[in-house]
Amino acid sequence: MSMKDVVKEIEGKVVEFGGVVETITDTAVFVEIPKERVKEFAKWLYNAGAFLKTCAGVDERSINSRFAVYHIFGLDEKGIDVVLRISSLEGEALPSIASEVPAAEWCELEARDMLGLHILGHESKPRLVLPQDWPNAVYPLRKDVPYDYRPPSSVENFGKELPSEVGLPVGPYHPILHEPEYFELYVEGERVVDVFYRGFHVHRGIEKLAESPRFTYKTIPFLAERICGICGFVHSSCYVLTVERAAKIEVPERAQFIRSIVLEIERIHSHLLWLGVAAHILGYDAGFMHIWRIREPIMVLAELLTGSRKTYGINIVGGVRRDIDESKKKKALDVLRNVREEFKRFVEVFTSVPEIVKRATGTGVLPKDDARALSVVGPTARGSGLRRDVRKDYPYFAYRLASFKVPVYSEGDNLARLLVRVDEVFESISIVEQLLDALPRGSIAVESYEIPSFRKAVGAVEAPRGEDVHFIITGHGRPYRWRVRAPTYQNIPALKIMLRNTPLADAFLTIASIDPCFSCTDRAVVIRDVRSGFRRFASLFEGRRYANK
Amino acid sequence: MQISRIASPLKLLTIALKVGRVTKKYPFGPPLLTESFRGAISIDPAKCWGCGACTLVCPPNALTMRLEGEKIVLEYFKGRCIFCGMCADTCPANAIIVTKEFELAATSVEDLKEDVIHKMSKCAICGKPFVATAEIRDVMKMQPITEEYANICPECRKKRAVKAFGMRFGAST
Ligand code: SF4
Ligand code: SF4
Repeated sequence: MSMKDVVKEIEGKVVEFGGVVETITDTAVFVEIPKERVKEFAKWLYNAGAFLKTCAGVDERSINSRFAVYHIFGLDEKGIDVVLRISSLEGEALPSIASEVPAAEWCELEARDMLGLHILGHESKPRLVLPQDWPNAVYPLRKDVPYDYRPPSSVENFGKELPSEVGLPVGPYHPILHEPEYFELYVEGERVVDVFYRGFHVHRGIEKLAESPRFTYKTIPFLAERICGICGFVHSSCYVLTVERAAKIEVPERAQFIRSIVLEIERIHSHLLWLGVAAHILGYDAGFMHIWRIREPIMVLAELLTGSRKTYGINIVGGVRRDIDESKKKKALDVLRNVREEFKRFVEVFTSVPEIVKRATGTGVLPKDDARALSVVGPTARGSGLRRDVRKDYPYFAYRLASFKVPVYSEGDNLARLLVRVDEVFESISIVEQLLDALPRGSIAVESYEIPSFRKAVGAVEAPRGEDVHFIITGHGRPYRWRVRAPTYQNIPALKIMLRNTPLADAFLTIASIDPCFSCTDRAVVIRDVRSGFRRFASLFEGRRYANK
Repeated sequence: MQISRIASPLKLLTIALKVGRVTKKYPFGPPLLTESFRGAISIDPAKCWGCGACTLVCPPNALTMRLEGEKIVLEYFKGRCIFCGMCADTCPANAIIVTKEFELAATSVEDLKEDVIHKMSKCAICGKPFVATAEIRDVMKMQPITEEYANICPECRKKRAVKAFGMRFGAST
């Protein structure tokens, strides 16, 4: 079916459900559905093969005196997004689609927490994003709450919302947007029987900050880059991509190439980093050191091409700020050739040592059906047999012009996720080489641009950890609403399934296997024995102690 | 499995022996930076106009401007700087260069701050200080405007224009 037919079919369905098609762009269809029928529509979309990317609550009272929820679906096979808007007046209830599309649970809870929306079926659930002691009627993402609002601290409220059998130990608080996390593992003897998760300990309010007068379209890329310490360039790329789509800015080809090149370099460093850390968790420190040694030239290369080892700072709306000249190109190709050789030699060792292979095989299994229901992304999806890759499904920047394979493994265990990453390092090296060779001439940024208000756009970029999604409603000088969905957000709910009924010793590798950002997370785990009630803290790297038991 | 238990460490050993030592003798030995590295910025007070353009593009507000009596102070706070170089790209006077300095640790916060102080010029009509003297000087070099015009604050300029406009059309202002 061609793109046109798909859009036609969607239009037909929308009319059937009494909705209207708002706008159709090259990459997305924006529709409005009466809230009574959104469930059916979502179900139809989901059964037609769409994945839920995320949803975004928006306070639109200053435009149309309503609150809106945008459910963002992606039809991977067709490469288009379907954005479904439902809205209500203040205080009115909105339906939830989580019963039809399980992946919607988190983002709906987030919209409830941050905007005070009344979403049916979620009333009694504990807070997801806001801390326990946050005052009751303050909803940070409402436009009338100032961006620098600080609640008075009220210790009494603490702990009331948690289930009574779970205490709330202080910490662990981890300094990053969507990745800080806290797990309580309930064990019977050595087996994990249940998992309790609480995250968002240090939600930094970046989305709100970007709406404040302190930031402009021009400076937000630098803020976006700081969402993640490892794959920050993904976020700044995704932000500029979304703004450029909303404002229909034509970005010079050379800039598109440079963005893709730097994104792939980031993926290589990120995967190598993860492989090293995985080795370290399993007690194979020699492997850890060798992988990080192999990774170092990639970091230096990133600095050569962008000016910084990390947080490259070269993305701006309309292009990039640093060019790649002939001498840099030559150096880059040399580095990549060496890294490929070294990594190849090392992988032979790495994938044959029993510490790695035995521990990773058959542990932390995520079956394909669950992976689909939770719309997981990245290596987590590809390790469970889902062929999902934004670079192929929704081509952006210069990926259309590179040829590469998307590695997929069907076992769904830790080894599968590990092997996906190993294969991707080779693919990424080849992509960078191809793009460097084909680098077109021309300028690297547009001279000037205009960004009209109240345009909407969705952008997605394949991060090392999976699909990163940004949704923007433009405003004057800065976005009216900027919603960021980091890949780990989509993958953490899958951990519950992976961890259940596995030996405790494997839990550490399994948590790590979705590759939640390591740079900023030391990730403490609470272990509680169901029978004795005994409880202690363990850090992720302690996994090896349990390994030998 | 048994074979790999012995073979893998041996293979790794050959790799390690071939690579040798990779730890660098920092801070001795050749610099570890590439030619593109961006470090702290340096503002040339002789070139700076005090126009404040850099403070508008600086993402983390590492560059700020404040009034101190009849002086304008441009402050650079390294503690906030993210070394992006946006300021250097924007400065109309080319007063900012991006250096390769990265060893910036200091024992007091004050040591991380640098001020560029500008005298302000007073408006020739109302006498209020309104702009950095250096800006008038350099703008006049670049633009064919008269000193008489440049020395007047925007407020008085507007009033004067309204008056001139009124007189031309015979209004009774
Ligand atoms: S380098 Fe960037 S962060 Fe530092 S002062 Fe300049 S604009 Fe601000
Ligand atoms: S002249 Fe340059 S350094 Fe001085 S205030 Fe203006 S932009 Fe900043």
